[in-house]
Amino acid sequence: MKPLPSTSSKTPVKFRMPTSENLVPIRLDIEVGGQRFKDAFTWNISDPDSEVSVFAKRTQKDLKLPLAFATQIAQSIQTQQTEFRSYKGQEMLTGEKIVPIKLDLRVNRTLIKDQFLWDLNNFDSDPEEFSKTFCNDLGIEDPEVGPAVAFAIREQLYEIAIQSVATARESRNAKKGRRGEYSSISSRSTGAALDLMKLFSNRYSGVRKRKEWDVFEPMVDMLSNEEVAALESMVEKWRDLEEA
Amino acid sequence: VALATKQRQWYFGLSVNERTVVHQWPSFFSFGSPSTFWAFLWKYSFIIPSVFARPPKNLRNLTAMASTEPPAAVTPPSSKPNLLPLASPTIITPSAAASVAVAPTASSSSPATPSVATPRPIPSDAEVVHIPSYSCWFSLGDISECEIRCLPEFFDSRSPSRNPKAYKYIRDSIVKQFRRNPSSKITFTEVRKTLVADVISIRKVFDFLDAWGLINYSPAALNKPLKWEDKDSKSSQHAADSPAGPSLDSTPPVRETSKRLCGSCKSVCSIACFASDKVNLASSFHCNGIHTIKGNPSAAFCAIASLEHCSTNLVLIVLNQYDITLCARCFVRGNYRVGLSSSDFKRVEISDEMKTDWTEKETLQLLEAVMHYGDDWKKVAQHVGGRSDKDCITHFIKLPMGEQFASSAEFGSSINKLNQMKDDNNISSSSSPSKRLCLSPLADASNPIMAQAAFLSALAGTGVAEAAAQAAVTAVSEMGQGEPKADIRSLHGVQGLQDASITSNGSGILKSVEEAHSGVNPKPEEKEKVNVEEEIRRVAEVQMKQIQEKIIHFEEVDSQIEKEWKQMEQMRDILFYDQLNLLKHERAIRKSGQQAAEGVRTQGDYVS
Repeated sequence: MKPLPSTSSKTPVKFRMPTSENLVPIRLDIEVGGQRFKDAFTWNISDPDSEVSVFAKRTQKDLKLPLAFATQIAQSIQTQQTEFRSYKGQEMLTGEKIVPIKLDLRVNRTLIKDQFLWDLNNFDSDPEEFSKTFCNDLGIEDPEVGPAVAFAIREQLYEIAIQSVATARESRNAKKGRRGEYSSISSRSTGAALDLMKLFSNRYSGVRKRKEWDVFEPMVDMLSNEEVAALESMVEKWRDLEEA
Repeated sequence: VALATKQRQWYFGLSVNERTVVHQWPSFFSFGSPSTFWAFLWKYSFIIPSVFARPPKNLRNLTAMASTEPPAAVTPPSSKPNLLPLASPTIITPSAAASVAVAPTASSSSPATPSVATPRPIPSDAEVVHIPSYSCWFSLGDISECEIRCLPEFFDSRSPSRNPKAYKYIRDSIVKQFRRNPSSKITFTEVRKTLVADVISIRKVFDFLDAWGLINYSPAALNKPLKWEDKDSKSSQHAADSPAGPSLDSTPPVRETSKRLCGSCKSVCSIACFASDKVNLASSFHCNGIHTIKGNPSAAFCAIASLEHCSTNLVLIVLNQYDITLCARCFVRGNYRVGLSSSDFKRVEISDEMKTDWTEKETLQLLEAVMHYGDDWKKVAQHVGGRSDKDCITHFIKLPMGEQFASSAEFGSSINKLNQMKDDNNISSSSSPSKRLCLSPLADASNPIMAQAAFLSALAGTGVAEAAAQAAVTAVSEMGQGEPKADIRSLHGVQGLQDASITSNGSGILKSVEEAHSGVNPKPEEKEKVNVEEEIRRVAEVQMKQIQEKIIHFEEVDSQIEKEWKQMEQMRDILFYDQLNLLKHERAIRKSGQQAAEGVRTQGDYVS
């Protein structure tokens, strides 16, 4: 068990995913010759780079995609990998960081909406375990939901980690340079996270307020085929609008 | 190895009862015509190369692992009590010699369980799962040493997400997912979309399971013994999913056929069509009539087994091949017969189709070449001229059975040799000059020994080859005892046996077949059968006699030893007596000496 850091420490830590394993969320959105391929999965950053091309080839073959996809997939994975690695040497702030994680995703026909708090300090956390338990508890039959949930969590954690790197850098600069703005910056750095003390300061119990119950309750909805079709067409239109 | 041979022998038997090789061959063999022999060979070489390569398809039905067989018998000995998942899908592990690809079979982390049972009614497919015998260590409840060895990164705690629990989760999910639909191959992408883990771990486990045949292993896919089956299955798989559009990475096999008509919708195939030349129809021919058994060869075997029992008439199995052509539309719709699956079809591009049917001349050339060159298809192709070796093989397979090619001059020196062989067997009579060329499609079976055996036995004729092989087998089995086989030789009258017993094991069968007699005429089948049974009886008698003689010999030796022992004892007694006497005399002499001395003294006293 790692000793818990003191509550108010802002000791910087080397960048990593705040989970038990350094798994990176990879999102693919490739369009080649009118065919669009979207995917999202977790990737183990410590695996050798040869795996990238193997995986890309495999995916392309299994899904019977045209050959051009393989290279594109490999490229995309590699860019995201290098991006992750670029953060590697950096430091990020840890501290009292309980962040709300929101799930709002649709996988095939299942719609999931949820929100919960996640401890960024806990480097033993495991989104995969969470996702498995989530699906089991809610009786989700579609097996594709699990990975999607885990991916969503990881993505958000990744974003937060990146942000914390940025704030760490800023605060370092601030420390070095302008002392005056230090306090405002430091308060900004903790803005993304909820301070535990603040959260529980005005209560005598740990129970949430009633009006927040709905927000924090997981909601799983099964869509019918028409709804799915409707949603997808909406997404398409939105995307076309964006591109136009 | 002993286990494997035992099982192989069982396969030779292929019977409802578990009889051994020697006894079983005849009853299957009581067919007189080459077509049936061909059928037998089809079975035989189908199995034998498969024994070396992969478990054969027909075993699936024959070795129906009854659901009565307790799962405990199948799982490796390290099974723990919570192995319930195995109770519902009973695992059939058709025993086979180690497969080519897998070196770790030598590991013997758990002994291969001989799982073959007598054929019983086939359980429904939902209960049956096939895995190759080299993977029988696998169990859903455990992690075995083999897995630890092959995927060490999950077990060395180097990375926290790769731990045994995660491994088990991934492995079990993949296997369960595959088993939900065992007839279709599961792809890695399907799997990884449904598993909560990082994709590389999933891929490693998937590849491992694939390599060991625990997933994506269906005996149906092992139907073709031809050498290029991998390419075919790959191309057919590719073709299967992109029927109309251009398939980017499959090379359509070039076939030579004429205009193609779709089998089901009867329209001319336009862009592409799918052909299956799977040999899968079997018809059995009773003396009374012809019954056709449609379906897979596996069904045919069951039919054979059952028919064999039900009638004293003989069952001739004639296997036809079924050449189906479907246009793209019908293929996609799935308009094919029961017993075929989409993987059996090969995509054929109409635009690429070249010529036409084989002319008579070409066929003759092909047969000639096959006679001369046997297995060497390149030479055959050269001889035929204008056809590639693959075309030759394809066409060869397709040639109808029972064709007779009269002139023996075509067949070269080997047949002449056969013709000249003497025969004092009461089975055979003079050789018939007209040979029937049994065209076995096995000449290009992957196992070279079997291919040769098949080919040569096709030349020699059924009964001859059968008797010769039978004799060779008995000779080979007795060779270990080092006894001369004079009796057997005379009994069987198969001259080749002499050679068989002299030469090494491996070539024994071949030689005996080569030099066996020619032309056992297709006599009435019963007589042959009876004769052969008589032969077996004689063989058994001879063996019994040998054993009796041995016993007598041992008894003699025994009695002799006893005699010698008795003699020894007597001699010992005599020696003892002698010693005793010696001692007595000694004492007596001493005493008398003393007395004499005393006497002298007393006398001296008297004197003085």
